[in-house]
Amino acid sequence: MALDTRETPVHLEDPVVRSMHLRAPERTGLAARFAASDPSPGLDLARNPRVARLLRNRKFQFLLILPNQIVFWTVIFVGLLGTAIPGLNFGAAITWYVWFCLVFVMMVVVGRAWCAMCPFGGFGEWIQRRTLFQRTQKALGLGRKVPEPIARYGFVIPVASFLLLTWIEEFFNIAGPGNPADTAWMVVGIVASALTFFLVFERRSFCRYFCPLTSLIGTVGSMGSVAGFRTRDREVCLSCTTKDCMRGGTDGFGCPWYTWPGSADSNLACGLCTECYKSCSEDNVGLFLQKPLTSVVAPRRRRADVAWAVALLFGLVLYQQINATNVYNSVDTWLNSHMGFPHYPNPVAYLAIIVALAAVLAGITRGFSAVLARRDLELAAPGGFADRRSRFRAFFVPIAYGLIPVMGADYFARQLPKFFKHAARVVPSVQHIVGFSGTGSPIYATRLLGDPSIVVVQVAVIALGTLGALWATWRITGRELVPVSRSVVGVRVATTGLVVVAGLAAAILYVAMHAAS
Amino acid sequence: MTLLAPNPSSAGDAAAALEVHVLADRCAGCQECVIRCPAGALSMNERLWIAEADAAACVGCRQCERTCPFSAILVEGMPDVAPRTLERSHHPGSLLGDASEIRLGFATLEEAQAEAARCLACPDPTCARGCPTHNDIPAFVAAIVRGDLVEAHEILRRTTVLPDVCSRVCDQASQCEGACSWTLAGGQPVAIGRLERFVTEVAPVPPLEVRGDRADLSVAVVGAGPAAIGAAWALREAGASVTVLERDAAPGGLLRWGIPDFTLPAAVADRPWAQLVEAGVVLELGHEVDADELEALRREHDAVVLCHGASQPLRLSVPGADLDGVTDATTFLKAGRATLAGEQPLAELRAAFGLAAPVAGRRPSVLVLGAGNTAMDVARTARRLDMDAVCVDWLNEAFALARPDELAEARAEGVEVRFQRTLARLDGRDGRVARAELSCTEQQRPDRRPTVYTDANEQLEVDLVVMAMGYRIEPTFSASLPAAPVRRQAVGIPDRQWAASGLLAATAHRPGRQPIGQLALGRQHAVEAATLPVQDRVWVAGDALVGPSTVVEAMAQGRRVAAAILAAGPRRPGAERHGGPLRVLVAYESQGGTTAAAARAIGDEMSALGATVRILPLGRVGVTEVVACDLLLLGSFVEGRIVAGVRPARAARRWVEGIGRLAGKQVGLFCTYAVAPKQALELWSAQVEAAGAHVLGTAAFHRRVVGDHRAGLAAGHFARRLVTAAAPV
Repeated sequence: MALDTRETPVHLEDPVVRSMHLRAPERTGLAARFAASDPSPGLDLARNPRVARLLRNRKFQFLLILPNQIVFWTVIFVGLLGTAIPGLNFGAAITWYVWFCLVFVMMVVVGRAWCAMCPFGGFGEWIQRRTLFQRTQKALGLGRKVPEPIARYGFVIPVASFLLLTWIEEFFNIAGPGNPADTAWMVVGIVASALTFFLVFERRSFCRYFCPLTSLIGTVGSMGSVAGFRTRDREVCLSCTTKDCMRGGTDGFGCPWYTWPGSADSNLACGLCTECYKSCSEDNVGLFLQKPLTSVVAPRRRRADVAWAVALLFGLVLYQQINATNVYNSVDTWLNSHMGFPHYPNPVAYLAIIVALAAVLAGITRGFSAVLARRDLELAAPGGFADRRSRFRAFFVPIAYGLIPVMGADYFARQLPKFFKHAARVVPSVQHIVGFSGTGSPIYATRLLGDPSIVVVQVAVIALGTLGALWATWRITGRELVPVSRSVVGVRVATTGLVVVAGLAAAILYVAMHAAS
Repeated sequence: MTLLAPNPSSAGDAAAALEVHVLADRCAGCQECVIRCPAGALSMNERLWIAEADAAACVGCRQCERTCPFSAILVEGMPDVAPRTLERSHHPGSLLGDASEIRLGFATLEEAQAEAARCLACPDPTCARGCPTHNDIPAFVAAIVRGDLVEAHEILRRTTVLPDVCSRVCDQASQCEGACSWTLAGGQPVAIGRLERFVTEVAPVPPLEVRGDRADLSVAVVGAGPAAIGAAWALREAGASVTVLERDAAPGGLLRWGIPDFTLPAAVADRPWAQLVEAGVVLELGHEVDADELEALRREHDAVVLCHGASQPLRLSVPGADLDGVTDATTFLKAGRATLAGEQPLAELRAAFGLAAPVAGRRPSVLVLGAGNTAMDVARTARRLDMDAVCVDWLNEAFALARPDELAEARAEGVEVRFQRTLARLDGRDGRVARAELSCTEQQRPDRRPTVYTDANEQLEVDLVVMAMGYRIEPTFSASLPAAPVRRQAVGIPDRQWAASGLLAATAHRPGRQPIGQLALGRQHAVEAATLPVQDRVWVAGDALVGPSTVVEAMAQGRRVAAAILAAGPRRPGAERHGGPLRVLVAYESQGGTTAAAARAIGDEMSALGATVRILPLGRVGVTEVVACDLLLLGSFVEGRIVAGVRPARAARRWVEGIGRLAGKQVGLFCTYAVAPKQALELWSAQVEAAGAHVLGTAAFHRRVVGDHRAGLAAGHFARRLVTAAAPV
């Protein structure tokens, strides 16, 4: 039997080790804390030698990013220089008919798969690290930390940037899609801002704190079946005194997402970049699968920024549904004429409706807490914006987590019409780059699904999302709300009812949208 | 005896002002700060699983800021620490002929204890990393607090043989004290150097005690400076027979002739050799070893350690540099030391340097080129020999190479130090130097060469010019040494433990100063470089390896070489070999686990054949592991494009590149492959042999073979072949 020992010959012992007397890490409550969120050891994909080889290869993420990088630079050039017909312009067609829909599928199934291959973050990271894939030491740029006053709001800041981007996109009719050049400029804008942030801040601060999509991908992605990179044995992580997965080791960078596999209890902030896997000197990081919705249900640390992000994002998608109805058209026109604003969407109405919808959700949960919370409940606990506790938050935050599946389904359903109606146009748009094919092409007019069927699919997606939300909310309620409520039945009925109402509202709005169109 | 509180605060206001912010969004609950906080001010918030701080317990050392991998902790406010004890020094009434020691240690135990009580006893002591020989500083300081100076002495002697010397000559500001947590937090460091000196003054270094049983080992050491002292002491302590060959008439090297008595008294400088000789080290003085004799030494001894130093002075090649009255620091310091010790009259020294006796109050004027520590020694010696001294250095004073206290003392003694000046030319009168022309320079950053402005020159009347700009390695053993001195600069990804200690953190770097962590890591790099032999059974240490460095660095390298020799157990040809088992190190680079499995299979077979086997991933194999094995077995998967560019993994090739030297090492190579290994093993063999190793055998294993029952068979065959070929040392 061979010895796999790490003992150093006695004469050559590092004297510093003898002078180190590190305190023992705290372990109280660890097992209970992570029991629900820790994936099963059998679901570690990295146990497979082929997967392990792939994940350890430094070119892995580069090869994921590269095709998207090519596509998005093509989007920019073809968008600016190609035809103005959106359906024939590859830039507009790939972005709005296919890409957004695919990103949602990836989110729901995998989590932050898009983040692992994102050309915006990837490009910024290449420049920041001064390499395409090698492990380098010195970064380009200022390497600043995101200031705490911003960082403390976590996912709320990226929701704000998502709202801004969506308003711009609606105002200029970019995603319609309108003029393909606008799509190209939008992509250029995102690339430029990503690059700027990468050069000012360290690691993937842009992706974690500013990217317009990060809160959407993070929240919707928590439904996914990939738990991300997690510890194989937490005790090994606790006794590790170098934390190469966070600081970076010989073979990998420190986690660009500020996540430690040893304490991750959801896939919310795991960018699947593989760096922790590469840098762990103990081979103690694995790539785990999990049951769907585990990252919605299981985390013990519920964050208010995530809850508010869900509320606002839900508000946004409901707004987008509402604005496709006849009623909203007249409201918007009336507002614009009184405010002197040129055309849809009126920014005041846009923001007011989204915030109001989020406030309605918060108000309902406030009502729940007022009616259902135990009278003797003392939940006030100090903390930052994300972690402060109160009676209101005790209900609002877990309920918002439970709504993630229905909110995600709503976003997905909203992308379906463009996909079913126009995804086939990507083929003629590619042909058009090399000079043939046009609007007369039979593929150009091909629809994967007709209008009434699309609504059926949309409603089915909402139903599926609502079912997921019901299950998640049931579990969350049982674990987190029942102990703080006066009436078990009451809180069960209230939370379940809220999910049903949310799902119904979304489904009805799709029917109404169809009627309006 | 008064024992003080661990951290007596004299700054209650500062304590009140300290604030610790844990950035909840960025804290991942890894506890790096918790396990390293010296004050126990950090704990875990169980609900959120993030760190939380008790500001009342915080002392503001900022260890948490430096060690947090995600920079999730901010500490506001000044360090809460008592003021540093004032340094004491001796001011002679008249400098002329005075060689008494200037810097003084603590007068009483209470005074030393008060200073020692300022130590935080950091759980991950950065001071120990800052010390080139890694003294266990918190432990010996704690022993002083307890009043147990014998234990303090024992703790020091685990890692140093020159505590009395180093405490006097080390530039602590760029070593242990520069790396003290208080310094890194912007405060005044614990006076580690003076505490070390106090221990050795109260309890002198005891005689060398031969404790080991390595009498079978015979080692020749060339040179008798600090590196040789370090090596000879550790080897003799282990029982080896040590022969030291020194070309000078007295041992000590730099300690003897390079450092004046007013900094390092002769009694202290001579102590190590007196004890070494007493312990049985054979010292041959006046014995100059040349390259030919080196071969003879290799035949006669099991190992040879070259510690011949870097004593060739650098000379500035300016017009007039060959005039009479231009000399080097070594010549001047040797003569000055002899005069101050009363071995040579002052008149004789003046005559030797062509100087006239002072007339009407006008003393001879000495221009010292350079403003490093050697230049300061020259200038201060000149002042004691009744001369005026001016030092010029082209560096900015902010980046001066001299110890700050040394510079201050020199100025206090009347030495004029002009920074941002350089010598443009020397003019002579009757073949002797008479005037120096200086040009102004400008230096903005420490890593940039100064810019010289030739249009703004100054004239200086001089009687003697001493070039004290540094030294370089003598070319005697150039064939045996690395092509260039090993740079004391760590390259690539820093060691994990060093990175985790926080010493390399950006927040540990004080603007306008050299990054202390990089300096320390560079010194460690040099110590690591000393571990492996440059030729079969030939090691190099000290200035001979890295160029001019410091006493403590040379000593640390010498000790490391001794440890490497004891671990390697080299044997000269024909010497009786020890009967222990073959020590095999199997080091592999694996991606998917196949190569690791192959390594385990081969290791199992070798173990079954009676060898002692260690199996480690290449990333964990450093010089210490390599030097301590008889047979190094390297394994890697192959990468490339199936038909072209097939070669061992990049990491495996880079490991060989990084380790640099494998002189005389017996090596076996194996690779695992999916399609065909092509020329991978030949390429790797060539690389390993270029590093000086003997490749005993190679083998390639198909990935499928490794995974099934044939693995044992193939590995067994390969293992037998290697064990047969590798002669146990």
